[in-house]
Amino acid sequence: MSSTSQHLLLSPAELAYLHGSLSLITPGPIRPDGRSPTQFRPLTAETGILPGTNGSARICFADGTEAVVGVKAEVEKTPVPPYEFVASTEGRKGHSSAPKKSSRKSKKTTTEDEEISMDVDEDDEEAAGVNEKARVSPDWVELSVEIPGLRDDDSGTVFLTSMLTEALLADGEFVKKLWINRRFHWKLYLDIILISPPLSYPLPLLSLTTHLALLATRLPRLKSEADEDPMFDDDWAAATFLYPRQDTTSAKASNKSPKQPSAAAAAAPASRPPITLLVMAVGDNIIFDPSKEELAVADSAVAVSVAEGPSSETEPESESIPATSTKRNLHLLSVRTIDPPSRLTPPGVPNSVNAAAWGTMTAATPTTTTAATAPANESGAAKHPDARVTETEDVVGVWKAPRGGAKFGMLGAMVAKVLERGGVAEEVLDGLEGVDLT
Amino acid sequence: MPITILQPSLAPPAKLRDADSDSDSEGGADLEGDIAMGRPAKRARTQDSSIMTPGEIITDDPQWMRGHGTYVIPGASSNTILSSVAGTLAKTNKLLSVRPLRARYTPEIGDLVVGRIVEVQAKRWRVDVGGTLLAQLPLSAINLPGGIQRRRTETDELQIRTFFSEGELLVAEVQQLYNDGAAVLHTRSLKYGKLRNGVFMSVTGTGGGGGVVRARRQAFTLDISGTDEVSGSEKIDVLLGVNGYIWISKHIEGEGAAAETSGPGITRIEESVGLNVYSSQNDIIPVDTMREIARVRGVVTALVENGLRVDEEMVTKGYAEAVEMAKEERDSADTLWLGGERGKRLANALVGR
Amino acid sequence: MADRRRINGPVGATTPPIFDKPAGPAAAKTRDAIRKIFLKTGITPSASGSAYLELENPNPQRPGNTSLKLSCTVHGPRSLPRSAPFSPHIILTTHVKYAPFATRQRRGYLRDSSERDLGVHLETALRGAIIADRWPKSGVDIISQKDDEGWDMMNVLSGCITVASAAIADAGIDCVDTVAGGVAALVCKDDKTAPTIVMDPVVAEHDSILAACCVAYLPTRDEITNMWFKGRLPGADMMVYDKLMEKSLVACRCANRVIVQELNETVKKGQGIS
Repeated sequence: MSSTSQHLLLSPAELAYLHGSLSLITPGPIRPDGRSPTQFRPLTAETGILPGTNGSARICFADGTEAVVGVKAEVEKTPVPPYEFVASTEGRKGHSSAPKKSSRKSKKTTTEDEEISMDVDEDDEEAAGVNEKARVSPDWVELSVEIPGLRDDDSGTVFLTSMLTEALLADGEFVKKLWINRRFHWKLYLDIILISPPLSYPLPLLSLTTHLALLATRLPRLKSEADEDPMFDDDWAAATFLYPRQDTTSAKASNKSPKQPSAAAAAAPASRPPITLLVMAVGDNIIFDPSKEELAVADSAVAVSVAEGPSSETEPESESIPATSTKRNLHLLSVRTIDPPSRLTPPGVPNSVNAAAWGTMTAATPTTTTAATAPANESGAAKHPDARVTETEDVVGVWKAPRGGAKFGMLGAMVAKVLERGGVAEEVLDGLEGVDLT
Repeated sequence: MPITILQPSLAPPAKLRDADSDSDSEGGADLEGDIAMGRPAKRARTQDSSIMTPGEIITDDPQWMRGHGTYVIPGASSNTILSSVAGTLAKTNKLLSVRPLRARYTPEIGDLVVGRIVEVQAKRWRVDVGGTLLAQLPLSAINLPGGIQRRRTETDELQIRTFFSEGELLVAEVQQLYNDGAAVLHTRSLKYGKLRNGVFMSVTGTGGGGGVVRARRQAFTLDISGTDEVSGSEKIDVLLGVNGYIWISKHIEGEGAAAETSGPGITRIEESVGLNVYSSQNDIIPVDTMREIARVRGVVTALVENGLRVDEEMVTKGYAEAVEMAKEERDSADTLWLGGERGKRLANALVGR
Repeated sequence: MADRRRINGPVGATTPPIFDKPAGPAAAKTRDAIRKIFLKTGITPSASGSAYLELENPNPQRPGNTSLKLSCTVHGPRSLPRSAPFSPHIILTTHVKYAPFATRQRRGYLRDSSERDLGVHLETALRGAIIADRWPKSGVDIISQKDDEGWDMMNVLSGCITVASAAIADAGIDCVDTVAGGVAALVCKDDKTAPTIVMDPVVAEHDSILAACCVAYLPTRDEITNMWFKGRLPGADMMVYDKLMEKSLVACRCANRVIVQELNETVKKGQGIS
């Protein structure tokens, strides 16, 4: 059972109320905490909190939910693939196996990425691979998620881990940053720890914290050359950022306003790590950053990973992008539906079949349907308590767990809402830019 | 702006709130033993030494008796009373007890609580009231539909889930306490029963002076027709459970805990036990009411986040203030959101800073 | 006394295997069709419901390139243990497991994280299809086993969804619709040509896959219960994404027809016996 559905205990009346207020169309959804549909909970963020790491960040919500991410890098020898000739000669066809399989040792967490990446990343690498630099492996990143109260191998945690890993590795650009020389690479360990018990589905929190930690990650400056054993500069101040950026002053200046053309021209617009946003739909409304109660009435929920990249020339397919003057070049990296916990919620009982609420026809709330047949139902329901779980039509004000899935158009609209120009992803990235990176 | 990201700031230095909070917190009647989570400030002024930490010797005078939050070292000098929790000292006649500053709810007889059913057993429900132990609600302590007075039969036991099932919320009164501190609840009044037409929120576990305090009235009705956007005369019921669980719902005439304090006596119960007591079907709620319910919820959140107590007076004042704020900034879209900076403004306006 | 210290060769003479020359290359798969699916329900008598799925192997002559074989068993609905808390719905648990011999690198018996991840996807896909409130206080286990090697995660997932859907129907658990899985991918022949979208991609046939999308779809309700997209699309272009999704839906419809046909046959057979 996924972690979205844990400790979920809400009464049918609450659920019906929440669903009703969130699916309002005319004034838009009324969220229980009064936020607008695209508004996130305010958060406090800082980076560089752990001096023992290469990069770290901490984000906390006002309700006390708090996540810490530490990034550690180690130099590791790149294993020489025994079947290199296979990869080079026959690599076009039998590429899926030889060089990667050999490097799969006991990397428990990343094996699946290999498996996926076979069809997505590696192929690109090899297709684009004119030099050795392309020989990178998703094994170089190891990501672990720790959520208090859940086991490491809990499927919910595994799902979160693979979702975050997937976003990081999907475009294959990230691992290229870890290449040192032909014999060595950086191995990056990302440890994501949720400090508080998960009060809501922690995906956006973990993703934003990881984003900041990666932005703050620095690797020591390389002093050696070519394929020597790597030597590094001891001076931490000289260390280079994993995600290079313009000098801080211009970054600060471009914080609110669109990037100055001069800054953009000076350096290629810094690419940024991916962010994963949680989007849910209730009725026809699309809502961002849902709290636990809101997610409990979701008709569908989707995690969308987006990265901002430079329109770099290494990507063969990106040449079709018109060089627009907009500030962000967003890539869709991954989309996953998330099992909304609403499917596990207890259904409400319409008054018309409720054995314990008899006589409701005279009450102030005329039920919209089946009022006439109610007396018959009552006696039936009284005799067979289980009768209440039999099918009832949708009655206004009575909660029923949603069935089926989401419409094609709705899923598309949710993704589009994230990606569109001036959409939520851009605004979140704008907001994250304001965080002081130390 | 969909996302607000703040820089971390140092915790504000501990405020000595005696002077300014006195003027507006002195209003309510001084109920015995209401230091609970609410107002340590009130006593702090007169007795500075009343703050205790575990292990601190309170007294060695044999005239005192030890109460909650204290212990004695068995042996020779057995009249030395030491504190076992961090909190404020309370003296009731010759009884010394220490109330922890921040604790789970400790039930007391007569408390009005909001609870959530977590388990259904053969003859009783187990209810989460935010305390250390689950409370019990025996089948015999509820009203039968229609107010029939009779023994509970096997049929009732088999149908126990038609009254309350897992996850459902109810309002009840603490009837009895066991030795281990577990509470037994009852809903044998028109004021109590299943909750619907509203939203739930929990403010337990909030230290630093926030939270629900025991007061004369835990349940009250807010008139929302003051906001000119609202058409018709809608009202909102606010139910502040002593345990920190709060229910905010649409007001329905003749129903709910806030309805009538002097409700019909036991003799008339048959006639008028709400026909909807065990309904889980919501009524049709106007959009305006939904919006105002969200606003009240925002006010309570703002109170808690800013370390203010939650009671009728504060919620009513806070709500009026929030409506004023919304009127002032009519042109901006999100006037409902009362977190972060707006919440702070609201709290400051309330305490007159 | 037999020599137990070493492994001896077989007693007596053996004949070296003679491999048959494979038949000529199979007709290239056209872009607008999915591979043929073999689906059979009711293969495991001890389970409440079961199904077996095999995909056509487009390149049988290539060594180490075998087809996808999946089996799925459904156990339940059955009563929850006494210790379990009350549930108003059926409790669904899904396990996806690669047989230890299913991949080139042998897999352990314990489920690793990729298998657990697939299990969550499968659960999401099925939960939307099952009418869970018809079966209170009961549980059902769905165990999908991948028996033969060779395919990437998304194809495995879509196969798992299809086979599990057939097995659930075989077990007689109420569903709103038969859910079926389908995959589409954005592939690139080489660096020069423009990328194209194919349904049901055979990984080995394509040089580079830029993005792929796996969808679980309820055809009669026209709803999607699970969606998994990953890869890299040029720019924030929703067009390609939408097309990719549409193609996956077509693949789902094709797979669904196979399920429906197989279920029809099973039912007919059952009627013939009784």
